[in-house]
Amino acid sequence: MAEHEITLTVNGTDHELTVESRELLVHALREELGYTGLNVGCESTMCGACTVHLDGDAVKSCTVLAAQADGQEVTTVEGLAEGGEFHPIQEGFQEEHGLQCGYCTPGMMMTATQLLEENPDPNDEEIRDALEGNLCRCTGYQNIVNAVENAAEKMGASTQGDD
Amino acid sequence: MTEMSVESVDPDDVDAADILGSAIERREDPALLTGDAEYTDDIQLPQMTHMAVKRSQHAHATIEGIDTSAAEAMDDVVAVYTAEDIDVPGNLPTGWLLDTLNQVDHPILADDRVRYQGDAIAVVIAEERYAAHDAVDAIDVDCERLEAVTSPREALDTAPDLHDDAPGNTAFEWEIGDAEKTSAAFESASHTASIDLENQLIIPNAMEPRAAVADYNPSTEELEVAMTTQNPHLHRLLMSGVIDHPEHKLQIRAPDVGGGFGSKIHHYADEALAAWTAKQVERPVKWVATRTETYLTDAQGRGHETHGEIAMDDDGTIVGLKVETEANLGAYLSTFAPAVPTYLYGTLLSGQYDIPAIHCEVTGAFTNVPPVDAYRGAGRPEASYVVERLIHLAAKKMEMDPAEFRRQNFVPDDAFPYETQVAVAYDSGEYEKTLDRALEMLDYEDFRERQREAREEGRYLGVGFSAYIEACGLAPSELAGQLGAQAGLWESSLVRFQPSGTVTAYCGTSGHGQGHDTTYAQIVANELGIDYEDVDVVEGDTDEIPQGMGTYGSRSAAVGGSALVKSSQKVVEKARSIAAHQLEASEADIDFENGEFHVTGAPDRSMHITEVAEQAYLAHNMPDETEPGLEATSFYDPDNFVFPFGMHAAIVEIDPDTGEIEFERYVAVDDVGNQINPKIVEGQIHGGVAQGIGQALYEAAEYDENGQLLTGSMQDYAVPKAEHIPEMETDSTVTPSPHNPLGVKGVGEAGTIAAPQAVVNAVVDALEPFGVDHIDMPLKDEKVWRAIHENGGEN
Amino acid sequence: MEFEGTFTIEEVSTEEVWLALSDPFLIKQCLPGCQFLTRVEDPDDVDFEALGEQEPDEDPPTLPEAAPEDISDRAFEEGGHYAALMQIGVGSVKPTFRTVVTIDEREFPAMNASGEGSATDSSFEMSSGMTLVETDGGVDIEWEAEADVFGKIAQMGQRVISPVANRVVSRFFGSVEDRLTEVAKEDDSEGLRDRVRNLL
Ligand code: FES
Ligand code: FES
Repeated sequence: MAEHEITLTVNGTDHELTVESRELLVHALREELGYTGLNVGCESTMCGACTVHLDGDAVKSCTVLAAQADGQEVTTVEGLAEGGEFHPIQEGFQEEHGLQCGYCTPGMMMTATQLLEENPDPNDEEIRDALEGNLCRCTGYQNIVNAVENAAEKMGASTQGDD
Repeated sequence: MTEMSVESVDPDDVDAADILGSAIERREDPALLTGDAEYTDDIQLPQMTHMAVKRSQHAHATIEGIDTSAAEAMDDVVAVYTAEDIDVPGNLPTGWLLDTLNQVDHPILADDRVRYQGDAIAVVIAEERYAAHDAVDAIDVDCERLEAVTSPREALDTAPDLHDDAPGNTAFEWEIGDAEKTSAAFESASHTASIDLENQLIIPNAMEPRAAVADYNPSTEELEVAMTTQNPHLHRLLMSGVIDHPEHKLQIRAPDVGGGFGSKIHHYADEALAAWTAKQVERPVKWVATRTETYLTDAQGRGHETHGEIAMDDDGTIVGLKVETEANLGAYLSTFAPAVPTYLYGTLLSGQYDIPAIHCEVTGAFTNVPPVDAYRGAGRPEASYVVERLIHLAAKKMEMDPAEFRRQNFVPDDAFPYETQVAVAYDSGEYEKTLDRALEMLDYEDFRERQREAREEGRYLGVGFSAYIEACGLAPSELAGQLGAQAGLWESSLVRFQPSGTVTAYCGTSGHGQGHDTTYAQIVANELGIDYEDVDVVEGDTDEIPQGMGTYGSRSAAVGGSALVKSSQKVVEKARSIAAHQLEASEADIDFENGEFHVTGAPDRSMHITEVAEQAYLAHNMPDETEPGLEATSFYDPDNFVFPFGMHAAIVEIDPDTGEIEFERYVAVDDVGNQINPKIVEGQIHGGVAQGIGQALYEAAEYDENGQLLTGSMQDYAVPKAEHIPEMETDSTVTPSPHNPLGVKGVGEAGTIAAPQAVVNAVVDALEPFGVDHIDMPLKDEKVWRAIHENGGEN
Repeated sequence: MEFEGTFTIEEVSTEEVWLALSDPFLIKQCLPGCQFLTRVEDPDDVDFEALGEQEPDEDPPTLPEAAPEDISDRAFEEGGHYAALMQIGVGSVKPTFRTVVTIDEREFPAMNASGEGSATDSSFEMSSGMTLVETDGGVDIEWEAEADVFGKIAQMGQRVISPVANRVVSRFFGSVEDRLTEVAKEDDSEGLRDRVRNLL
């Protein structure tokens, strides 16, 4: 099987690694590099547990080959908090009880942060729409929606504060 | 955000005295939110190998030969094993026996016959995950296909036998209640209603697939298995027998577990194989199910085919209820399978109603689907579904309002404890209260008016009620034993002070998303009168916790929480005697309040419990005969089940042209007794309701006539998405349980038990003008459309 | 699963279509993903590897070049067993099926066959039938098949399998049509028709 030398920048750190052609990005991140925050729920694009940001876009890392991601920037859940401070989306999930077992949560948050970048003040329906590719079996989604709204408020307040 | 939604608070903002019952944020969240959590698949050990399982592609076949040579020859393959190599008992046991139960063998690797698609045939151990799966593909299995059956009724009637030890595919025949009395009641009744329904097979779909990492140390013979489990001690007991490894040398540990819903209670072949192969290759072995494997092998839930009848007298008082059910048990008996469609089902058939005569017969059937066992609710949703569907039809028959028909037949408030006709005694309840609150939230009168007006415009609205009852914390152990349990159903705990005044609380339950670390710390902090932050909670490890029965059946708060109360109280008593000694007073004169011991009437002469802890470890000045240290263990065995209850109601609108169902409201009023953390309670209700709605509208394990699973992926099996679940409006009443020191009742399964019939009743109510009495779940658009049009449109 | 359909070929006779569909070599060439199709004696004991190796590098001529008499000599026979190795792309997987087919009935203008195939983690069992019907402008091939699928491909469900089956069938008949159109183009097609008729 062909091997590839690739570079991935994960949460700001450069990594060089060798991967097989067929190796999925999710496995490279989890198993080669130890970023185990993202999870595998289906390996088939359906559950969203493996969502990361790839060059700024939320993608399911089980559908990307590691070799395809060569040279790109990856942000995982480990990269959300900065300097020990939670990202507003993390605060939102904590305050609104937006997680139970937590397995879907990293993926949910990565999708949600992308939504909030594109739409800083989404309504209930827009949030549910945006989370269409992320499954949660525990929460019934209501508190996840509340968490995203909570984060939107916090982020809105902070950008207003900057004006 | 709903008005009713509970606001959570930062624990730092809560006074120690108020910690119990406050909706504090969960302490488990930071790890889960940052990626610091450790799920089983996150574990990497040096020299670790990977296991993959060769599974049957047929639902029923004989195995004529297995050729593993190509797999063995592959690079990176360490070993390949088939049934021939298994040198231990290797037979998965059943944890619940019934008098009439036909026990059958359940080998961890099939030897001569496979009985469901996914049955394990061989395992490969390889250096690396991909290589293990490649090698599995290279194993050649020669099979003769046999006829397969997936319906319990057909299995009992016509299908060839799956097991020599179960003639006619009968697993058991079981009954409860009084047949004669019930027939008599039906004979003298003025009105009856009946239903034939199917409660379809559901695939649990915890987001984290099952997994295990086993590590064996040949020098010490210690075998450590980290695995997705809801009950590590139970798994240790069962696995030690299956792989013949001494229980004291086997450690089962639950890392973070990504949901279970019952599916991680049971003992499966795969985890046993990971443990056994780790001993064979003397290297760590990791096995992680692919999603496909979870669809094929996770124990499924429900699977009933039922006929039910209800009888009323002239004025609409229920006089009798009878139920006949064929329960699908799948290909083998899973861990608690015999209990689910019997004692967890038949005993709940009185619902919230005073029914003077009940009789229920259940036949368990072997079929060519994966083993069927407890799935969130386990037996109780099936019971509640039959009862509430019958109640709906009965009210219609009597031309009575369904809410008022229920009210008329509720067990009255002054009748508790109430003995049902199906062998259980309800602890406490105020059923009208939840009904009234639900009606108020729905604005019921107004809704009926709107419904009439809408119908005139050709719009179809409906309301459905579900007055559910649940039994949690199966107990006491003596009773469970009489009913067939092969285990006690107590819970154990250990509460231990460290010398500096912090506390570690150990409990034998094993949370996997329910927030036990938080709620247990609230309980223990409250009992000991110390800071919440000073209590650490440990669960899910057989090496740390004395013993345990695990987390299922909504038992953790009621039984595990109570065990922690008991240990805490023992600690307080010991501390009291030390305090009395040091304060030079008699024990009887020492009061304990908010962590402080003081001499009655002399508040200055006091010692904080943390000071006592320090003294207990210094042991310089102890009462005679008192051992140093401050800790206590207890085994709490409750006197009875607890019976949470509530009223859920859905309002839906149906588009008669497409059959599409849209939610207008979903209202849940639950009484789960005292609440330790209302935010967590709310979350449990939400999640439970979502699963119930999933069953009502979307989910079903479907098989073709050869027993091939047609819904074997998340693409074909509809786990509800965010857009599928309506906003839920929740509220609660509080009727404390008298049976445990916390007055709690359990909440983990309530929503799942309540929701399906609320939705189905609402749909049927909406379709009343079309003469639709019943549609089997899941109510997919097309099925609803067909029901409307089969009846030739509005009549 | 059940499939059926009618494929129409213009400007040919039933005899020509029959002849074409009698030829194992032509079938092999027209069936997408078919690596060989060979007569075997014992359907329960087929060594696919050996058969693959024995496969000649070049097939004898098939229609439109082949002589009808040669095709007739090697035509499918009622009761005969045939082994084939077929690779079929289903969704993201491309299993290779070791397939054995038995000709259950063969009487102009109808043929029935049944068989089974197995790949690493999938298999199928099928029976199929075909009848040729002469029409004004050509021939209708009415076909039907019933298949049971097992394992991985079964799990993909009808959603995935039906389009695959349709694709294979229409590509197959499409290629057969191409061959026959060429036959029709060759001038002495009347002559061919007679020769075929004589053979039947
Ligand atoms: S694991 Fe990638 S979407 Fe499910
Ligand atoms: S929190 Fe468990 S799957 Fe979402």
